[in-house]
Amino acid sequence: MSDALVFVLAGAFATATPLFLAALGELICERSGVFNLSVEGMMSIGAVVAFITVTHTGSHALGMAAGMLAATALSTVFALLTLRLLANQVVSGLAVGLLGLGISAMVGMPYEGAVTTPIQRLHVPILADVPIVGPILFSQDAVVYMSVVLGASAAWFLRRTRAGLTLRVVGENPRSAHSLGLRPTRVRFLAVLFGGAMAGLAGAYASTVLTPLWSQGMIAGRGWIAVALVVFATWRPTRLMVGAYFFGAVSLLDLAVQAIGLGIPSQLMACVPYVSTIAILAIVSSDIARIRLNAPMSLGESYSPAA
Amino acid sequence: MRSKLILAAAALHLAAAPALSDPLKVGLLIPNAIAEVGWDHEIDRGGKALVQTFGDKIQLNSVTGVLEGPDATRVMNKMAADGSRMVILGGFGQMNDGLRLARKDPKLSLLHLGGYMNEPNFATLAIRHYEGSYLCGMAAGFATKSKQLGIVAAFPLPEVLNILNAWVLGAQSVNPELKPVKVVWLNSWFDPTKEKSAAESLVTQGSDVVYSLFPGTASTVSTAEQLGVYVTVTMSDASKFAPKKHLCAAQADFAPGFVRKVQQVLDGKFQGDDTFLGVKDASMAVAGLNKDLGEDHKKAILARQEEIRTGGFQPFQGPIMANDGSQAVAAGAALSDKEIKGMNFLVKGVDAKIPARK
Amino acid sequence: MIPLTVEVTRRKSPSRWGMVIVPLLTVVLAVASAAVMFSAYGASPGAVLFGFFVEPLSSAYNLGEVAIKAGPLILIAQGLAIGFRAKVWNVGAEGQLIVGAVAATVVPVYLPDSDSALLLPAMIVLAAAAGMLWAAIAALLRTRFNASEIIVTLMLTEIARQLLYYAVMGPLRDPGGFSFPQSVPFQDAALFPTFGETRANVSILICVAATVSAWIFVTRSFAGFRLLIGGVSPDAARYAGFSQTQAVWVSLLLGGAAAGLAGVGEIAGPLGKLQPILTPGYGYAAIIVAFLGALNPIAIVLAGLFMAVIYVGGDNALATGQIPASAPAVLQSLLLVYYLACAFFVNNDIRVGFVRRVGAQA
Repeated sequence: MSDALVFVLAGAFATATPLFLAALGELICERSGVFNLSVEGMMSIGAVVAFITVTHTGSHALGMAAGMLAATALSTVFALLTLRLLANQVVSGLAVGLLGLGISAMVGMPYEGAVTTPIQRLHVPILADVPIVGPILFSQDAVVYMSVVLGASAAWFLRRTRAGLTLRVVGENPRSAHSLGLRPTRVRFLAVLFGGAMAGLAGAYASTVLTPLWSQGMIAGRGWIAVALVVFATWRPTRLMVGAYFFGAVSLLDLAVQAIGLGIPSQLMACVPYVSTIAILAIVSSDIARIRLNAPMSLGESYSPAA
Repeated sequence: MRSKLILAAAALHLAAAPALSDPLKVGLLIPNAIAEVGWDHEIDRGGKALVQTFGDKIQLNSVTGVLEGPDATRVMNKMAADGSRMVILGGFGQMNDGLRLARKDPKLSLLHLGGYMNEPNFATLAIRHYEGSYLCGMAAGFATKSKQLGIVAAFPLPEVLNILNAWVLGAQSVNPELKPVKVVWLNSWFDPTKEKSAAESLVTQGSDVVYSLFPGTASTVSTAEQLGVYVTVTMSDASKFAPKKHLCAAQADFAPGFVRKVQQVLDGKFQGDDTFLGVKDASMAVAGLNKDLGEDHKKAILARQEEIRTGGFQPFQGPIMANDGSQAVAAGAALSDKEIKGMNFLVKGVDAKIPARK
Repeated sequence: MIPLTVEVTRRKSPSRWGMVIVPLLTVVLAVASAAVMFSAYGASPGAVLFGFFVEPLSSAYNLGEVAIKAGPLILIAQGLAIGFRAKVWNVGAEGQLIVGAVAATVVPVYLPDSDSALLLPAMIVLAAAAGMLWAAIAALLRTRFNASEIIVTLMLTEIARQLLYYAVMGPLRDPGGFSFPQSVPFQDAALFPTFGETRANVSILICVAATVSAWIFVTRSFAGFRLLIGGVSPDAARYAGFSQTQAVWVSLLLGGAAAGLAGVGEIAGPLGKLQPILTPGYGYAAIIVAFLGALNPIAIVLAGLFMAVIYVGGDNALATGQIPASAPAVLQSLLLVYYLACAFFVNNDIRVGFVRRVGAQA
């Protein structure tokens, strides 16, 4: 039983990492007022490009860079559509996301089912050997620790820096931001590209570290979960970390419960992550005051300085 | 490769006018993208064997990515319309569409993998994976130290159940002290990340041999290698993905079945029957046995394989108890092919449940 | 920097010219992209393009196939478009379709010997009701708890899928089918009659009825509604005189009903049974159709037909073995991307001028 607990709690970090990274990108993007639904497609592109790069170069760092670059390229299409051509954000997100899924399947065809070497987990000396706490906290891979740092940096960026303030002002009201001499479209553009890069990194992590293989459709809906997590977290990076971790743990719980053999119908267990997402979403959203306090006011609205 | 084939066929077509020397057009529907191991890979290999065997007597058109939905029909019909006289359906879900086409076009011969319906021009082909699975189960029984085995499988389908049961019976036959075998159902046709986590959770619960049963990818196999536990696998030798820990594969080969049925079409004697091939027909064999297995263990496995080949042994020989306490196979009885194909129970010693028996 | 000034002003109403040119341009761009894509795969573009866009229209059988694909796409898109106009984002039609199909299957499974004429109508009603019920969960959570319907409908799709797996492996499984995960093949009374030699069936009438109702709904029934389409009043709260809450309910219920009906159209149509894989993503493709059709009931029909041609043509091209299976999906999403880009030129006046700059080079 305690083995299972450690499995769930320790495994949740790695399982949560792609969710968290993609959701963090989406969070920054949404904070600027842009709702980008193409996360699933961007993750897939990031995953396939990173996988191909690692296969040919053997370098995980290069793979992640390539994955980020590819997803950023795709997010540029989204940014042009929504920010320059003022297309509806929801539809553009869906369109670009489907495009990303299709292209990744096409590009990845020769690599279908291939595997690559994972990166080693870091074992923090002494601490990693402490029972229970050791494997949970001190025996993860480098990207897991990096993502925690990224999350903390994002929180600091949003709260403490001038650029973060600019981002928030644009997200609240691009028109008044413009009148303050800020450049809302440029800020949003950069935020979208950041979202793309993070989704690419998330995909790269999924295909080269978490499950070091490529197969079409391997992102399996995690991009959508990432979008949901942002609302969960009421647009706060630190809460996002908790949300992603919780989701990672819940999705492992299904498998752990089966492995223990408690005899709970497995289809029911497979629904748990989705049902709990809905439930928590409802609970979080129903506190309208809090949502108002945190949600970027202009979220999803096109902005054009000329109009 | 494929375009070369088509070119060659086209040249032949121009050169030889008489209809008799026209190659037999054979269509092959492969449900998913072809990987280096697994179901789609083996079907593709079967197709290649056809080309090798029959040379320019046939013209093979294999199509990848024909999902088991309402669209498969269209691809089949298009193949028939383009002059295919035989179509091989690689996905279970293509059964009803194939049957409809068979009834509409009696001159067409269809071969369906894994189904259970027939027409005079609609045959089925299945492989006795359970035979190889029993042998891999023996390997697992020999290799385990913790006496705890674990299985990762997608859904509790009948074919999955007979393979799973055979594996457990094989393991129990050589290792009477086994703890109840744990099973994790993925409930997803395809999610390599979930596969990996499933394998990890089994290992956490003490399994030191895991079974990757009809995997979508090599995820479970390579996870086992990383975690340092042995792995057995269906369909293809996956040693490449676990050079150290690949214990045993139940290697399937569609070639003998494909060749037999294509030959029937060439001879004008196609039969809409059920072909169920196993070790005896060179369609199933253990492969990739780990060198860690002792010589006597290897010998025992291969001897059992030989017994299966000669008909001296059948994995589902009674008495077999189901894990709900009922008797599944009486002493002295053995399950028929039909009962094996429609299996709907788990044997005693499996720690899992399936939806109620009917 | 490019020495150009671009001045963009939002038009009060879309340019008439543009409404013709944009779809044409979109199609031209898509066909051109297809040609490039196919050449990259070493296929001869001419032959594949013919297979893709012309062959599907070449015979009664192929036309029937186009109708089979277009039916559910148009039906769902009509339902979704109502909500999209009010900015209610039901992106879970896939799940509503699945639930509709599962509910309708209960009838032939529990009445396998009945040949009553009421069988099919009962299935239709059940499917629509189940689709509505599934969407109603999202409506309730949105109106009562303010939960984003985008996320709720997406999650409900995953749950619907598990429900389907449970149904085909448990209570709705064919007991005579070797325990394979599918229902009994439906009796004739539970199937939509087909037209001639094609697979196209009477369920297409549901699609026609939905289109006509949507058209009436848009053009006749609500004066305020027309304003919305013109983009004058994008404020969802005043959606055709509805309150926000009513708009959410109406949108989701109609969208769910349409998707549920599409579900029964599949199982009582080309599939003839319930099986684990029901749809090649109609629920998502219908979103593309709705927007390609500019949320206009008539244009949605054209958009749905075009998308269906790509599906059918894609399968044809697949059967000749020259393009990868993912090509149609890439093409369909490109179509929407192009459309969204081109639509900019309908909705805006664009003036381009040169900037004189000292030292600027060409």
